[in-house]
Amino acid sequence: MPAGDAFSPRQQEDVVRAIRLARQQSQLPVSVYVGTLEGDSRAMAQQLHGALGADAAASVLVAVDPGARRVEIVTGSEVRRRLDDRAAGLAAMTMTSAFQGGDLSGGIANGVLALAEHAQAPRSRHTDTP
Amino acid sequence: MIALTALTRLGDVVVAASKIDDGSEAGDGFSVVETLFWFVGVPGALFVGIVVLVSVATTARGPRYRPGLGWWAAPIWFNGPESADTAVRTAVPTSGGGGASARW
Repeated sequence: MPAGDAFSPRQQEDVVRAIRLARQQSQLPVSVYVGTLEGDSRAMAQQLHGALGADAAASVLVAVDPGARRVEIVTGSEVRRRLDDRAAGLAAMTMTSAFQGGDLSGGIANGVLALAEHAQAPRSRHTDTP
Repeated sequence: MIALTALTRLGDVVVAASKIDDGSEAGDGFSVVETLFWFVGVPGALFVGIVVLVSVATTARGPRYRPGLGWWAAPIWFNGPESADTAVRTAVPTSGGGGASARW
């Protein structure tokens, strides 16, 4: 992998499309970081998730470190109610099986879609119509 | 009678030997330019052609990640915060959340 862009425009488009679908189908805001997670990868991923600011509690961060071969999924305190750790673990496994075959963008896209599938849409508690 | 037949056969053999077989006589030699063309130019063109075909296919497919060979590409953040560096530096790490970790 030479220095430069991690993904071709087409691969980037695949990831962006998966993120858009997750938002449309499950109202799940997903953020994907691909790069080095220095130090403790879990702590670094939580730092990155915190950087999402006010949206962090309702967002999911997928952090992939291809060099260290680690993937971290961090769910905010709100979104955790509809996307439990088991579902996050299954999505992580979906990703790692693709990563082993060298398919980084495809694995990320499938993982994001798996997260969206498991996340139920939040029920509206206040509706005008019965 | 036998002697006559033998003489006829001998005559056939002499005639056959005097003919030149196809391909047994060397043609005109290659000039230096022709030799270079056939033994350097054509193989070189084939080599370059195959290299171009392979590299075009690789470029069209995009960069490929190979597990175990490291990672040198610049970090990329989809749907991340504006001015990511500042946001990360000033961020409070998430606590009370969940998630999962995995290796490959």
